Amino acid sequence: MSAKPGKILVDNLWFNNPVLIQVLGICSTLAVTNNVRNTLVMTVGVSLATAFSSWTLSLMKDLIPRKVRMIVQVLVISFYVIIIDILLRAYLPDASRQLGPYVGLIITNCIIMGRAEAFAAANKPLVSFWDGLTSGIGYMAVLVAIALVRELLGFGSVLGFRIMPDGFVPWTIMITAPSAFFLVAMVMWLARNLQARREAAAKAAKASPKPAAGPSPAKA
Amino acid sequence: MDFEFFTMNPIALFFASIFTSNILMSNFLGMCSFISVSKDYKSSFGLGLAVTVVMTITAAVSWVVLYYVLVPLGLEYLSFIVFIIVIAAVVQILEMVIDRASPALYLSLGIFLPLITVNCAILGAILFMQIRQYGFIESVVFAAGSGLGWWLAIMLLAAIRGRVENNPVPAGLKGAGITMITIGFMAMGFIGFSGMIAVQ
Amino acid sequence: MKKKFDRENIVYVVVFSFVVCAVFVAGLAAANEATAPKVRANREFASQAAVLDALGIAYSDPAEAASLYASAVRPIEGAVPRAYVAERPDGLHYAVEVTGAGLWGAITIVAAAGESLERLDGIQVLAQNETPGLGGRIDEPWFKEQFRGERVAGGRVRISAGAEAGGSGANDPEDGLVDGVSGATRTSQAMEQIIAAAIARLAEVAGGGK
Repeated sequence: MSAKPGKILVDNLWFNNPVLIQVLGICSTLAVTNNVRNTLVMTVGVSLATAFSSWTLSLMKDLIPRKVRMIVQVLVISFYVIIIDILLRAYLPDASRQLGPYVGLIITNCIIMGRAEAFAAANKPLVSFWDGLTSGIGYMAVLVAIALVRELLGFGSVLGFRIMPDGFVPWTIMITAPSAFFLVAMVMWLARNLQARREAAAKAAKASPKPAAGPSPAKA
Repeated sequence: MDFEFFTMNPIALFFASIFTSNILMSNFLGMCSFISVSKDYKSSFGLGLAVTVVMTITAAVSWVVLYYVLVPLGLEYLSFIVFIIVIAAVVQILEMVIDRASPALYLSLGIFLPLITVNCAILGAILFMQIRQYGFIESVVFAAGSGLGWWLAIMLLAAIRGRVENNPVPAGLKGAGITMITIGFMAMGFIGFSGMIAVQ
Repeated sequence: MKKKFDRENIVYVVVFSFVVCAVFVAGLAAANEATAPKVRANREFASQAAVLDALGIAYSDPAEAASLYASAVRPIEGAVPRAYVAERPDGLHYAVEVTGAGLWGAITIVAAAGESLERLDGIQVLAQNETPGLGGRIDEPWFKEQFRGERVAGGRVRISAGAEAGGSGANDPEDGLVDGVSGATRTSQAMEQIIAAAIARLAEVAGGGK
């Protein structure tokens, strides 16, 4: 596996984005995407948990017996998630109260386990940390984009600041669950089409792809 | 114990957790296995059954562990790890029991059990139970309802996906994309149940 | 030739698992201990701030809240759940904590009113587990601000189901009626019950009861 930091970044953010391409890990966070701040807290949590779990597991990889590999992975992941939960409770009590059980659900986020298994098990600690972090950022980009649309149309605000004019009638559907499914599908559609187009173009001229920080689904 | 458990109407809770607040449709829990398995009707049935059984049992066991072990010892901060271990243990034991008792059932149910340990719906139901401070009865009723709701959702989706497959779908939406849109419409349908629950 | 280190040896597996568990659990225990005072302080602040909010006493930071609380508010001894009395320029005001069942779990609020109980000073939500974005919106300012100075009619403040002010908080304080959260009828009904219970308890506390 080639482990150039730049390539990992581009891969995790775009070509192999955990949400758009691998369809992983949306369970735990999609429910809070009707609020940008909560989404940010959750996705930063996921990024850090992924990065540190990958780093730790990569450090330990030569010591872990095969029989207990799964349980050690779960233990390490739970450790970091509990740390995040404790920190939130101490320093961001409001966010902790609003997120409720969703912080704990980061443990079952498939991205963390996936990166630990697919990357950290065969790579050096620092590179694994970077891989975990960028995977988390790729995840964050998509979910924050979705949250922006949902909060803007559902409440007329972004991060709690009112943006829409007074006469704006909030779209109740954006607050409720179905909108999240539709928006994920639309972002996915957009990303896959762009990638398919670029692939076709890249075949003709071998251009280096630009790292995009997640497409904005604003028009969707 | 110095806890005050909140008694909810169990019947309302049961139906609300199946329909109006379906753990998959409104809390998005258990999506990963949901999307990959729901291609096939038969596997969906097996997985749904397994989730329902495991969810009910683990909720009961976790409740006892939480309020008779962790809380008296002041170890609530370890609850996430303990819940995960309870889930893994229940899944293992269930696998062994089913294997001994009924090989036929093992074939239809057993293969799905390992998938369940990492299913966020199970942990989700337990965390909801903890944070809402349900009593024992409420916890079991809520978990059973959530499991049944998940089962219902995956069966419905599998049936719809069977039809969608035979129709032309834009290339970029194939697979996960169109499935998401389908789930979105289903979720709207489930919201329609909201008015139904007025038991309390 | 030196034999390769055997990772699958049962003794090693047991020792390894034990050591790993011990290390991580110790780490968690340390983190939990280290933040426990902070968490307690947060909880204390949340409860004091909620009382001040309900009474309509403005503060700008935790330190000011703590000093205002210390100077103006006195917890009523022996009241379970907690109740408070505050001396305000216009006389005694009372605040009570009340818990009731919502759609998903318990909702705990603090409600405050003057001695005459003609109008609510305000309410504040301490804990709730309603659906985020729907019932959970009872914790949003537009909803809570509606109760500020709202007239109590027949021992309750009614909450309309279905309609809402769209976040603008346009509300007539004289009619004893506030807007509910649209899409969360059950939670709105539950809040009406809880607030009625709070008003009953305020009357009890103002009358010298616990």
